[in-house]
Amino acid sequence: MTVLAVSSLAKRYRRGGKPFAAVDDVSFEIGRAETLALAGPSGSGKSTIARLVLRLIEPDAGRVDFEGADFLALSGAALRARRARIQMVFQDPLAAFNPRVTVARVLDDPLRIHGIAPRAERPRRIAALLERVGLDAGLAARAIHEISGGQRQRVAIARAIATRPTLIVLDEAVSALDVSVRGQILELLLDLQRQERIAYLFISHDLGVIRAVAHRVVILDAGRIAESGDARAVIANPRSAIGKALVAATPRLTRNRP
Amino acid sequence: MTALLSVRDLSVGCRRDRAEAPALKGISLDVKTGERLAIIGESGSGKSTLALAIAGLLARGAKVEGLIGWKQSSLQSPHSFAPPSVLPDISPTRGEISSSAAGSPHATPAIGESGRDSSISPQVGEMSGRTEGGAVERRPFHPRDNPLLGRDIGFVFQDPSSSLDPVMPIGKQIAEVVHTHLGLSWPDSFAQAKTVLDRVRLPDPEAVLHVYPHQLSGGQKQRVAIAAAIAAGPKLLIADEATSALDTIVQAEIVALIRRLVAEDGMTLLFISHDIALAATLADRVAVLRHGELVELGETDQILNAPRHAYTRALLDAHLGLDAEPLLDRQGASA
Repeated sequence: MTVLAVSSLAKRYRRGGKPFAAVDDVSFEIGRAETLALAGPSGSGKSTIARLVLRLIEPDAGRVDFEGADFLALSGAALRARRARIQMVFQDPLAAFNPRVTVARVLDDPLRIHGIAPRAERPRRIAALLERVGLDAGLAARAIHEISGGQRQRVAIARAIATRPTLIVLDEAVSALDVSVRGQILELLLDLQRQERIAYLFISHDLGVIRAVAHRVVILDAGRIAESGDARAVIANPRSAIGKALVAATPRLTRNRP
Repeated sequence: MTALLSVRDLSVGCRRDRAEAPALKGISLDVKTGERLAIIGESGSGKSTLALAIAGLLARGAKVEGLIGWKQSSLQSPHSFAPPSVLPDISPTRGEISSSAAGSPHATPAIGESGRDSSISPQVGEMSGRTEGGAVERRPFHPRDNPLLGRDIGFVFQDPSSSLDPVMPIGKQIAEVVHTHLGLSWPDSFAQAKTVLDRVRLPDPEAVLHVYPHQLSGGQKQRVAIAAAIAAGPKLLIADEATSALDTIVQAEIVALIRRLVAEDGMTLLFISHDIALAATLADRVAVLRHGELVELGETDQILNAPRHAYTRALLDAHLGLDAEPLLDRQGASA
Protein backbone atom coordinates (compact mmCIF):
# COMPACT_ATOMS: atom_id res chain seq x y z
CA MET A 1 0.00 0.00 0.00
CA THR A 2 1.34 3.39 -0.96
CA VAL A 3 1.56 5.89 1.88
CA LEU A 4 3.09 8.76 -0.04
CA ALA A 5 3.18 9.41 -3.78
CA VAL A 6 5.01 12.43 -5.10
CA SER A 7 4.76 13.20 -8.80
CA SER A 8 6.46 15.78 -10.99
CA LEU A 9 7.22 17.95 -7.98
CA ALA A 10 8.93 21.26 -8.75
CA LYS A 11 10.09 24.20 -6.67
CA ARG A 12 12.02 27.18 -8.02
CA TYR A 13 13.83 29.87 -6.11
CA ARG A 14 15.74 32.91 -7.20
CA ARG A 15 19.42 33.03 -6.40
CA GLY A 16 21.36 36.17 -7.23
CA GLY A 17 18.41 37.40 -9.30
CA LYS A 18 18.42 34.28 -11.43
CA PRO A 19 15.76 31.57 -11.13
CA PHE A 20 17.05 28.13 -10.31
CA ALA A 21 15.22 24.86 -9.76
CA ALA A 22 15.69 23.57 -6.20
CA VAL A 23 13.44 20.62 -7.06
CA ASP A 24 12.79 19.70 -10.68
CA ASP A 25 10.36 17.01 -11.83
CA VAL A 26 10.77 14.68 -8.86
CA SER A 27 8.53 11.63 -8.50
CA PHE A 28 8.65 8.74 -6.04
CA GLU A 29 6.43 6.56 -3.86
CA ILE A 30 6.82 5.17 -0.36
CA GLY A 31 4.92 2.10 0.79
CA ARG A 32 3.71 1.09 4.24
CA ALA A 33 6.59 0.26 6.61
CA GLU A 34 9.11 1.16 3.92
CA THR A 35 12.16 3.39 4.19
CA LEU A 36 12.98 5.51 1.18
CA ALA A 37 16.22 7.44 1.45
CA LEU A 38 17.02 10.69 -0.30
CA ALA A 39 20.74 11.11 -0.90
CA GLY A 40 22.76 13.75 -2.66
CA PRO A 41 25.29 16.51 -2.14
CA SER A 42 24.52 19.85 -0.48
CA GLY A 43 22.05 21.80 -2.56
CA SER A 44 20.68 18.77 -4.39
CA GLY A 45 17.15 19.40 -3.11
CA LYS A 46 16.86 16.80 -0.32
CA SER A 47 15.59 19.10 2.39
CA THR A 48 13.42 21.11 -0.01
CA ILE A 49 11.61 17.89 -0.90
CA ALA A 50 11.12 17.16 2.81
CA ARG A 51 9.63 20.60 3.34
CA LEU A 52 7.36 20.23 0.31
CA VAL A 53 6.10 16.87 1.54
CA LEU A 54 5.39 18.37 4.96
CA ARG A 55 3.76 21.40 3.27
CA LEU A 56 6.03 23.74 5.15
CA ILE A 57 6.47 25.28 1.69
CA GLU A 58 4.23 25.00 -1.38
CA PRO A 59 5.43 23.55 -4.69
CA ASP A 60 5.32 25.40 -8.00
CA ALA A 61 4.11 22.27 -9.75
CA GLY A 62 3.43 18.64 -9.07
CA ARG A 63 1.29 16.51 -6.86
CA VAL A 64 1.61 15.02 -3.38
CA ASP A 65 -0.77 12.21 -2.47
CA PHE A 66 -0.75 11.09 1.13
CA GLU A 67 -2.77 8.07 2.23
CA GLY A 68 -4.52 8.13 -1.12
CA ALA A 69 -5.75 11.74 -0.92
CA ASP A 70 -4.49 14.90 -2.62
CA PHE A 71 -2.46 16.40 0.22
CA LEU A 72 -1.96 19.74 -1.53
CA ALA A 73 -5.72 20.28 -1.84
CA LEU A 74 -6.28 20.11 1.90
CA SER A 75 -6.64 23.20 4.04
CA GLY A 76 -7.87 24.25 7.45
CA ALA A 77 -9.14 21.57 9.79
CA ALA A 78 -8.83 18.82 7.19
CA LEU A 79 -5.15 19.64 6.67
CA ARG A 80 -4.49 19.78 10.40
CA ALA A 81 -6.18 16.43 10.94
CA ARG A 82 -4.20 14.79 8.15
CA ARG A 83 -0.97 16.43 9.22
CA ALA A 84 -1.01 14.47 12.47
CA ARG A 85 -0.30 11.42 10.32
CA ILE A 86 2.93 12.90 8.89
CA GLN A 87 5.57 13.65 11.47
CA MET A 88 9.14 14.88 11.31
CA VAL A 89 12.44 14.56 13.13
CA PHE A 90 15.23 17.00 12.33
CA GLN A 91 18.98 16.96 12.79
CA ASP A 92 19.15 19.16 15.87
CA PRO A 93 16.48 18.48 18.47
CA LEU A 94 17.72 21.36 20.59
CA ALA A 95 16.73 23.71 17.77
CA ALA A 96 13.41 21.89 17.29
CA PHE A 97 12.33 22.27 20.92
CA ASN A 98 11.95 25.10 23.35
CA PRO A 99 14.99 24.25 25.51
CA ARG A 100 13.46 25.49 28.73
CA VAL A 101 10.29 23.44 28.77
CA THR A 102 10.11 19.95 30.23
CA VAL A 103 10.12 16.71 28.30
CA ALA A 104 6.53 16.20 29.50
CA ARG A 105 5.47 19.49 27.93
CA VAL A 106 7.05 18.57 24.59
CA LEU A 107 5.11 15.31 24.52
CA ASP A 108 1.91 16.83 25.91
CA ASP A 109 1.60 19.23 22.96
CA PRO A 110 0.76 16.72 20.19
CA LEU A 111 -1.55 14.75 22.49
CA ARG A 112 -3.45 17.93 23.37
CA ILE A 113 -3.39 19.70 20.00
CA HIS A 114 -4.56 16.70 18.05
CA GLY A 115 -7.06 15.70 20.75
CA ILE A 116 -5.49 12.28 21.17
CA ALA A 117 -5.91 11.95 24.92
CA PRO A 118 -7.87 13.85 27.57
CA ARG A 119 -5.88 15.77 30.14
CA ALA A 120 -6.23 13.19 32.91
CA GLU A 121 -4.89 10.44 30.71
CA ARG A 122 -1.92 12.31 29.24
CA PRO A 123 0.68 11.70 32.00
CA ARG A 124 0.19 7.97 31.52
CA ARG A 125 0.46 8.34 27.73
CA ILE A 126 3.61 10.42 28.11
CA ALA A 127 5.20 7.79 30.33
CA ALA A 128 4.29 5.10 27.80
CA LEU A 129 5.79 7.13 24.94
CA LEU A 130 9.04 7.62 26.84
CA GLU A 131 9.28 3.92 27.57
CA ARG A 132 8.52 3.13 23.94
CA VAL A 133 11.63 5.06 22.85
CA GLY A 134 13.78 3.53 25.54
CA LEU A 135 13.75 6.35 28.06
CA ASP A 136 12.93 6.30 31.75
CA ALA A 137 9.48 7.72 32.45
CA GLY A 138 11.11 9.82 35.17
CA LEU A 139 12.73 11.89 32.44
CA ALA A 140 9.38 13.62 31.88
CA ALA A 141 10.07 16.20 34.57
CA ARG A 142 13.48 17.19 33.18
CA ALA A 143 14.05 20.24 31.02
CA ILE A 144 15.03 19.69 27.39
CA HIS A 145 18.35 21.48 27.89
CA GLU A 146 19.27 19.16 30.78
CA ILE A 147 19.23 15.90 28.84
CA SER A 148 21.83 14.51 26.45
CA GLY A 149 21.72 14.83 22.67
CA GLY A 150 20.84 11.17 22.23
CA GLN A 151 18.05 11.41 24.81
CA ARG A 152 16.76 14.53 23.08
CA GLN A 153 16.57 12.77 19.74
CA ARG A 154 14.65 9.95 21.44
CA VAL A 155 12.22 12.56 22.79
CA ALA A 156 11.88 13.95 19.25
CA ILE A 157 11.01 10.46 18.05
CA ALA A 158 8.55 10.03 20.93
CA ARG A 159 6.88 13.27 19.94
CA ALA A 160 6.74 12.12 16.33
CA ILE A 161 5.05 8.81 17.16
CA ALA A 162 2.63 10.39 19.66
CA THR A 163 0.08 11.00 16.91
CA ARG A 164 0.45 7.48 15.46
CA PRO A 165 1.73 8.66 12.08
CA THR A 166 2.00 6.52 8.97
CA LEU A 167 4.97 8.56 7.68
CA ILE A 168 7.88 10.20 9.46
CA VAL A 169 10.24 12.51 7.58
CA LEU A 170 13.72 12.12 9.09
CA ASP A 171 15.93 14.98 7.87
CA GLU A 172 19.54 14.14 8.83
CA ALA A 173 18.04 12.82 12.06
CA VAL A 174 21.14 10.88 13.11
CA SER A 175 23.83 13.04 11.51
CA ALA A 176 24.75 14.99 14.64
CA LEU A 177 24.83 11.99 16.96
CA ASP A 178 27.91 10.17 18.20
CA VAL A 179 28.38 6.86 16.41
CA SER A 180 27.61 4.79 19.51
CA VAL A 181 24.33 6.65 20.03
CA ARG A 182 23.57 6.68 16.31
CA GLY A 183 23.41 2.89 16.14
CA GLN A 184 20.92 2.76 19.03
CA ILE A 185 18.68 5.40 17.46
CA LEU A 186 18.71 3.59 14.11
CA GLU A 187 17.79 0.34 15.88
CA LEU A 188 14.94 2.17 17.62
CA LEU A 189 13.66 3.54 14.31
CA LEU A 190 13.76 0.08 12.72
CA ASP A 191 11.97 -1.43 15.70
CA LEU A 192 9.23 1.22 15.54
CA GLN A 193 8.87 0.62 11.84
CA ARG A 194 8.36 -3.08 12.32
CA GLN A 195 5.93 -2.67 15.21
CA GLU A 196 3.91 0.30 13.99
CA ARG A 197 4.32 -0.14 10.21
CA ILE A 198 5.59 3.44 9.85
CA ALA A 199 7.09 4.59 6.55
CA TYR A 200 10.21 6.75 6.63
CA LEU A 201 11.40 9.38 4.21
CA PHE A 202 15.01 9.22 5.34
CA ILE A 203 17.22 12.11 4.29
CA SER A 204 20.93 11.70 4.75
CA HIS A 205 24.21 12.63 3.14
CA ASP A 206 25.74 9.42 4.54
CA LEU A 207 25.52 6.44 2.19
CA GLY A 208 26.74 4.10 4.91
CA VAL A 209 23.78 4.99 7.11
CA ILE A 210 21.37 4.80 4.16
CA ARG A 211 22.65 1.39 3.20
CA ALA A 212 22.17 0.21 6.78
CA VAL A 213 18.53 1.20 7.17
CA ALA A 214 16.87 2.07 3.85
CA HIS A 215 15.06 -0.25 1.48
CA ARG A 216 15.28 2.05 -1.50
CA VAL A 217 17.27 5.15 -2.32
CA VAL A 218 16.75 8.16 -4.58
CA ILE A 219 19.96 9.96 -5.49
CA LEU A 220 19.46 13.62 -6.28
CA ASP A 221 21.64 16.04 -8.17
CA ALA A 222 20.77 19.70 -8.65
CA GLY A 223 17.11 19.09 -7.85
CA ARG A 224 16.62 16.17 -10.23
CA ILE A 225 16.61 12.43 -9.68
CA ALA A 226 19.90 11.04 -10.95
CA GLU A 227 19.03 7.43 -10.19
CA SER A 228 16.94 5.35 -7.83
CA GLY A 229 16.42 1.76 -6.82
CA ASP A 230 17.18 -0.84 -4.18
CA ALA A 231 19.48 0.89 -1.70
CA ARG A 232 22.16 -1.78 -1.59
CA ALA A 233 22.09 -2.40 -5.33
CA VAL A 234 22.43 1.30 -6.16
CA ILE A 235 25.23 1.86 -3.65
CA ALA A 236 27.06 -1.29 -4.76
CA ASN A 237 26.84 -0.33 -8.41
CA PRO A 238 25.94 3.33 -8.95
CA ARG A 239 25.25 4.29 -12.55
CA SER A 240 24.90 8.05 -12.40
CA ALA A 241 27.91 10.33 -12.21
CA ILE A 242 26.77 11.79 -8.89
CA GLY A 243 26.07 8.32 -7.50
CA LYS A 244 29.56 7.22 -8.42
CA ALA A 245 31.05 10.37 -6.90
CA LEU A 246 29.12 9.90 -3.64
CA VAL A 247 30.20 6.28 -3.32
CA ALA A 248 33.81 7.12 -4.14
CA ALA A 249 33.86 9.92 -1.55
CA THR A 250 32.54 7.78 1.30
CA PRO A 251 35.42 6.95 3.69
CA ARG A 252 36.16 3.27 4.00
CA LEU A 253 37.60 1.37 6.91
CA THR A 254 40.18 -0.89 5.38
CA ARG A 255 40.29 -3.58 8.02
CA ASN A 256 41.75 -6.98 7.45
CA ARG A 257 38.76 -8.90 8.65
CA PRO A 258 39.36 -12.41 9.95
CA MET B 1 61.62 10.41 14.25
CA THR B 2 61.83 13.28 16.71
CA ALA B 3 58.96 14.86 18.55
CA LEU B 4 57.75 18.24 17.35
CA LEU B 5 55.90 18.58 20.60
CA SER B 6 55.43 16.58 23.75
CA VAL B 7 52.33 16.64 25.89
CA ARG B 8 52.92 15.44 29.43
CA ASP B 9 50.25 14.83 32.04
CA LEU B 10 48.02 17.48 30.55
CA SER B 11 44.84 18.06 32.48
CA VAL B 12 42.36 20.77 31.62
CA GLY B 13 39.35 21.68 33.69
CA CYS B 14 36.56 23.90 32.54
CA ARG B 15 33.93 25.43 34.74
CA ARG B 16 30.47 24.24 33.95
CA ASP B 17 27.40 24.78 36.11
CA ARG B 18 29.63 26.07 38.90
CA ALA B 19 31.47 22.76 39.07
CA GLU B 20 34.90 21.86 37.80
CA ALA B 21 34.39 19.60 34.81
CA PRO B 22 37.55 17.83 33.70
CA ALA B 23 37.92 18.15 29.93
CA LEU B 24 41.28 16.38 29.76
CA LYS B 25 42.73 14.03 32.35
CA GLY B 26 46.44 13.40 32.39
CA ILE B 27 47.08 13.19 28.65
CA SER B 28 50.62 12.32 27.58
CA LEU B 29 51.62 11.92 23.97
CA ASP B 30 54.26 13.00 21.47
CA VAL B 31 53.53 14.48 18.09
CA LYS B 32 56.36 13.43 15.81
CA THR B 33 57.85 15.88 13.36
CA GLY B 34 56.25 15.43 9.96
CA GLU B 35 53.65 12.88 10.99
CA ARG B 36 49.92 12.96 10.44
CA LEU B 37 48.32 12.24 13.80
CA ALA B 38 44.57 11.83 14.06
CA ILE B 39 42.84 12.54 17.35
CA ILE B 40 39.46 10.87 17.37
CA GLY B 41 36.68 10.63 19.88
CA GLU B 42 33.02 11.30 20.44
CA SER B 43 31.51 14.48 21.79
CA GLY B 44 32.91 15.30 25.21
CA SER B 45 36.03 13.21 24.65
CA GLY B 46 38.29 16.24 24.93
CA LYS B 47 39.67 16.05 21.38
CA SER B 48 38.98 19.71 20.62
CA THR B 49 40.22 20.78 24.05
CA LEU B 50 43.51 19.05 23.29
CA ALA B 51 43.75 20.82 19.94
CA LEU B 52 42.99 24.18 21.53
CA ALA B 53 45.50 23.56 24.34
CA ILE B 54 48.25 22.79 21.84
CA ALA B 55 47.36 25.91 19.86
CA GLY B 56 47.27 28.02 23.02
CA LEU B 57 43.63 28.87 22.43
CA LEU B 58 42.06 27.67 25.65
CA ALA B 59 39.74 30.10 27.37
CA ARG B 60 41.42 32.10 30.10
CA GLY B 61 39.25 30.53 32.78
CA ALA B 62 40.45 27.04 31.96
CA LYS B 63 42.48 25.36 34.65
CA VAL B 64 45.51 23.75 33.11
CA GLU B 65 48.04 21.37 34.60
CA GLY B 66 50.84 19.51 32.94
CA LEU B 67 53.17 20.45 30.17
CA ILE B 68 53.22 21.05 26.47
CA GLY B 69 56.79 21.19 25.28
CA TRP B 70 58.00 22.16 21.84
CA LYS B 71 61.23 21.28 20.21
CA GLN B 72 62.89 24.67 20.26
CA SER B 73 64.90 24.34 17.11
CA SER B 74 61.83 23.48 15.13
CA LEU B 75 60.41 26.90 15.72
CA GLN B 76 63.47 28.94 14.84
CA SER B 77 63.63 28.00 11.20
CA PRO B 78 60.12 27.32 10.12
CA HIS B 79 60.99 26.07 6.67
CA SER B 80 63.74 23.60 7.38
CA PHE B 81 63.83 20.54 9.50
CA ALA B 82 65.99 20.70 12.57
CA PRO B 83 68.44 17.94 13.38
CA PRO B 84 67.13 15.25 15.66
CA SER B 85 67.04 16.24 19.26
CA VAL B 86 65.72 14.76 22.43
CA LEU B 87 63.82 15.83 25.46
CA PRO B 88 66.21 18.44 26.89
CA ASP B 89 65.34 20.43 23.82
CA ILE B 90 61.73 20.48 24.85
CA SER B 91 60.73 23.43 26.95
CA PRO B 92 57.50 24.71 28.38
CA THR B 93 56.04 27.26 26.10
CA ARG B 94 53.24 29.16 27.67
CA GLY B 95 52.65 30.82 30.98
CA GLU B 96 49.50 28.89 31.63
CA ILE B 97 50.77 25.59 30.36
CA SER B 98 53.65 24.75 32.58
CA SER B 99 54.93 22.03 34.79
CA SER B 100 53.31 21.69 38.13
CA ALA B 101 54.54 19.94 41.24
CA ALA B 102 51.10 18.63 41.89
CA GLY B 103 50.37 15.38 40.17
CA SER B 104 47.11 15.42 38.32
CA PRO B 105 44.52 13.51 40.30
CA HIS B 106 43.39 11.89 37.07
CA ALA B 107 46.78 11.10 35.63
CA THR B 108 47.06 7.63 34.26
CA PRO B 109 49.66 5.81 36.37
CA ALA B 110 51.17 4.06 33.38
CA ILE B 111 51.86 7.36 31.68
CA GLY B 112 53.06 9.45 34.59
CA GLU B 113 56.67 8.40 34.35
CA SER B 114 58.29 11.26 36.17
CA GLY B 115 57.74 10.02 39.70
CA ARG B 116 56.09 13.13 40.99
CA ASP B 117 55.03 12.95 44.57
CA SER B 118 51.52 13.60 45.61
CA SER B 119 52.05 16.94 47.32
CA ILE B 120 49.17 19.18 46.44
CA SER B 121 49.90 22.78 45.66
CA PRO B 122 47.54 25.36 47.15
CA GLN B 123 46.18 26.22 43.75
CA VAL B 124 44.89 22.81 42.86
CA GLY B 125 41.59 23.29 44.60
CA GLU B 126 40.87 26.56 42.90
CA MET B 127 38.04 26.71 40.48
CA SER B 128 39.26 28.97 37.74
CA GLY B 129 41.20 31.98 36.71
CA ARG B 130 44.57 30.43 37.35
CA THR B 131 46.65 31.39 34.41
CA GLU B 132 49.76 32.42 36.24
CA GLY B 133 51.47 31.57 39.46
CA GLY B 134 50.09 28.13 40.00
CA ALA B 135 53.16 26.40 38.79
CA VAL B 136 55.79 25.53 41.31
CA GLU B 137 58.52 24.29 39.05
CA ARG B 138 57.90 26.52 36.08
CA ARG B 139 60.97 27.25 34.08
CA PRO B 140 61.85 30.74 32.93
CA PHE B 141 59.66 32.00 30.16
CA HIS B 142 61.40 32.36 26.81
CA PRO B 143 59.33 34.32 24.32
CA ARG B 144 61.29 32.87 21.44
CA ASP B 145 60.22 29.39 22.50
CA ASN B 146 56.63 30.36 22.17
CA PRO B 147 54.99 28.79 19.16
CA LEU B 148 52.87 31.44 17.61
CA LEU B 149 49.44 30.72 16.26
CA GLY B 150 49.38 31.73 12.63
CA ARG B 151 53.15 31.60 12.22
CA ASP B 152 54.10 28.25 13.72
CA ILE B 153 50.66 26.70 14.00
CA GLY B 154 47.92 26.87 11.40
CA PHE B 155 44.45 26.16 12.73
CA VAL B 156 41.41 25.20 10.64
CA PHE B 157 38.07 25.13 12.44
CA GLN B 158 34.89 23.25 11.61
CA ASP B 159 32.85 26.23 10.49
CA PRO B 160 34.67 28.53 8.07
CA SER B 161 31.79 31.01 8.23
CA SER B 162 32.62 31.79 11.82
CA SER B 163 36.40 31.74 11.46
CA LEU B 164 36.47 34.15 8.52
CA ASP B 165 35.66 37.83 8.92
CA PRO B 166 32.37 38.39 7.06
CA VAL B 167 33.10 42.02 6.19
CA MET B 168 36.73 41.75 5.05
CA PRO B 169 37.70 40.69 1.52
CA ILE B 170 39.32 37.26 1.34
CA GLY B 171 42.61 38.64 0.02
CA LYS B 172 42.98 41.05 2.95
CA GLN B 173 42.31 38.30 5.49
CA ILE B 174 45.08 36.12 4.10
CA ALA B 175 47.48 38.98 3.40
CA GLU B 176 47.08 40.05 7.01
CA VAL B 177 48.46 36.70 8.16
CA VAL B 178 51.44 37.05 5.84
CA HIS B 179 52.07 40.69 6.74
CA THR B 180 51.84 40.02 10.47
CA HIS B 181 53.91 36.87 10.69
CA LEU B 182 56.37 37.11 7.82
CA GLY B 183 56.77 40.90 7.89
CA LEU B 184 56.26 41.25 4.15
CA SER B 185 55.09 44.52 2.63
CA TRP B 186 51.39 44.76 1.85
CA PRO B 187 51.84 44.34 -1.92
CA ASP B 188 54.04 41.30 -1.33
CA SER B 189 51.56 39.98 1.23
CA PHE B 190 48.74 40.23 -1.30
CA ALA B 191 50.89 38.47 -3.89
CA GLN B 192 51.53 35.70 -1.37
CA ALA B 193 47.79 35.54 -0.62
CA LYS B 194 47.11 34.99 -4.30
CA THR B 195 49.73 32.24 -4.38
CA VAL B 196 48.18 30.32 -1.48
CA LEU B 197 44.68 30.73 -2.92
CA ASP B 198 46.05 29.09 -6.02
CA ARG B 199 47.63 26.36 -3.92
CA VAL B 200 44.27 25.48 -2.31
CA ARG B 201 42.90 25.18 -5.87
CA LEU B 202 40.42 27.98 -5.79
CA PRO B 203 39.49 28.88 -9.34
CA ASP B 204 40.56 32.39 -10.37
CA PRO B 205 42.55 33.38 -7.23
CA GLU B 206 42.86 36.95 -8.51
CA ALA B 207 39.06 37.32 -8.35
CA VAL B 208 38.79 35.51 -5.01
CA LEU B 209 41.13 38.11 -3.46
CA HIS B 210 38.36 40.66 -3.77
CA VAL B 211 35.27 38.68 -2.78
CA TYR B 212 33.71 38.35 0.66
CA PRO B 213 33.11 35.02 2.46
CA HIS B 214 29.34 35.05 1.85
CA GLN B 215 29.97 34.94 -1.90
CA LEU B 216 31.64 31.53 -1.61
CA SER B 217 30.22 28.04 -1.02
CA GLY B 218 30.97 26.12 2.16
CA GLY B 219 33.71 24.09 0.53
CA GLN B 220 35.29 27.20 -1.04
CA LYS B 221 35.22 28.97 2.34
CA GLN B 222 36.99 26.04 3.94
CA ARG B 223 39.65 26.25 1.20
CA VAL B 224 40.08 29.92 2.08
CA ALA B 225 40.36 29.07 5.78
CA ILE B 226 43.04 26.51 4.92
CA ALA B 227 44.84 29.07 2.75
CA ALA B 228 44.89 31.49 5.69
CA ALA B 229 46.12 28.75 8.01
CA ILE B 230 49.09 27.83 5.80
CA ALA B 231 49.87 31.35 4.51
CA ALA B 232 52.74 31.95 6.94
CA GLY B 233 54.25 28.49 6.44
CA PRO B 234 53.49 26.88 9.82
CA LYS B 235 55.24 23.71 10.97
CA LEU B 236 52.05 22.33 12.45
CA LEU B 237 48.60 22.31 10.86
CA ILE B 238 45.67 21.55 13.17
CA ALA B 239 42.39 20.68 11.49
CA ASP B 240 39.60 20.49 14.07
CA GLU B 241 36.60 18.73 12.49
CA ALA B 242 37.50 20.75 9.42
CA THR B 243 35.34 18.67 7.09
CA SER B 244 32.44 17.78 9.38
CA ALA B 245 30.06 20.46 8.14
CA LEU B 246 30.68 19.60 4.50
CA ASP B 247 28.91 17.05 2.35
CA THR B 248 30.63 13.78 1.52
CA ILE B 249 32.01 14.83 -1.85
CA VAL B 250 33.38 18.17 -0.66
CA GLN B 251 34.74 16.45 2.45
CA ALA B 252 36.77 14.07 0.30
CA GLU B 253 38.11 17.00 -1.72
CA ILE B 254 39.17 18.92 1.40
CA VAL B 255 40.85 15.82 2.88
CA ALA B 256 42.75 15.36 -0.40
CA LEU B 257 43.76 19.03 -0.29
CA ILE B 258 45.02 18.76 3.29
CA ARG B 259 46.95 15.60 2.42
CA ARG B 260 48.64 17.32 -0.53
CA LEU B 261 49.52 20.53 1.31
CA VAL B 262 50.94 18.65 4.29
CA ALA B 263 53.10 16.56 1.97
CA GLU B 264 54.27 19.49 -0.13
CA ASP B 265 55.21 21.68 2.83
CA GLY B 266 56.45 18.93 5.12
CA MET B 267 53.99 20.04 7.75
CA THR B 268 53.02 18.03 10.79
CA LEU B 269 49.28 17.42 10.89
CA LEU B 270 46.91 17.07 13.81
CA PHE B 271 43.62 15.90 12.37
CA ILE B 272 40.79 16.07 14.89
CA SER B 273 37.71 14.08 13.93
CA HIS B 274 34.77 12.11 15.28
CA ASP B 275 34.97 9.86 12.22
CA ILE B 276 37.46 7.02 12.64
CA ALA B 277 37.13 5.91 9.01
CA LEU B 278 37.81 9.39 7.68
CA ALA B 279 40.73 9.87 10.07
CA ALA B 280 42.21 6.54 9.04
CA THR B 281 42.32 7.56 5.39
CA LEU B 282 44.72 10.35 6.28
CA ALA B 283 46.61 9.52 9.45
CA ASP B 284 49.89 7.71 10.14
CA ARG B 285 48.89 7.29 13.77
CA VAL B 286 45.56 7.51 15.57
CA ALA B 287 44.94 8.61 19.15
CA VAL B 288 41.58 7.62 20.63
CA LEU B 289 40.17 9.84 23.36
CA ARG B 290 37.23 9.15 25.61
CA HIS B 291 35.90 11.20 28.51
CA GLY B 292 39.08 13.25 28.51
CA GLU B 293 41.44 10.31 28.68
CA LEU B 294 43.78 8.85 26.10
CA VAL B 295 42.39 5.38 25.53
CA GLU B 296 44.76 4.17 22.87
CA LEU B 297 47.45 5.49 20.56
CA GLY B 298 48.95 3.52 17.74
CA GLU B 299 49.82 3.19 14.09
CA THR B 300 46.68 3.50 11.97
CA ASP B 301 46.99 -0.08 10.76
CA GLN B 302 47.27 -1.40 14.32
CA ILE B 303 44.31 0.68 15.51
CA LEU B 304 42.13 -0.62 12.67
CA ASN B 305 43.21 -4.24 12.68
CA ALA B 306 44.41 -4.95 16.19
CA PRO B 307 42.80 -2.43 18.52
CA ARG B 308 43.89 -3.05 22.10
CA HIS B 309 41.07 -1.25 23.83
CA ALA B 310 37.43 -2.34 23.86
CA TYR B 311 36.32 1.23 23.23
CA THR B 312 38.36 1.43 20.02
CA ARG B 313 36.77 -1.83 18.90
CA ALA B 314 33.33 -0.43 19.73
CA LEU B 315 34.02 2.67 17.65
CA LEU B 316 35.15 0.54 14.73
CA ASP B 317 32.13 -1.72 15.02
CA ALA B 318 29.77 1.27 15.15
CA HIS B 319 31.06 2.50 11.81
CA LEU B 320 28.43 1.97 9.15
CA GLY B 321 30.56 1.39 6.12
CA LEU B 322 29.60 0.43 2.61
CA ASP B 323 30.55 -3.14 3.39
CA ALA B 324 28.90 -3.46 6.80
CA GLU B 325 25.99 -5.79 7.36
CA PRO B 326 22.85 -3.65 7.09
CA LEU B 327 20.90 -3.18 10.32
CA LEU B 328 17.79 -4.06 8.35
CA ASP B 329 19.10 -7.60 7.90
CA ARG B 330 20.20 -7.97 11.49
CA GLN B 331 16.66 -7.25 12.59
CA GLY B 332 15.10 -9.36 9.91
CA ALA B 333 12.78 -6.53 8.97
CA SER B 334 11.54 -5.98 5.47
CA ALA B 335 8.99 -3.90 3.69
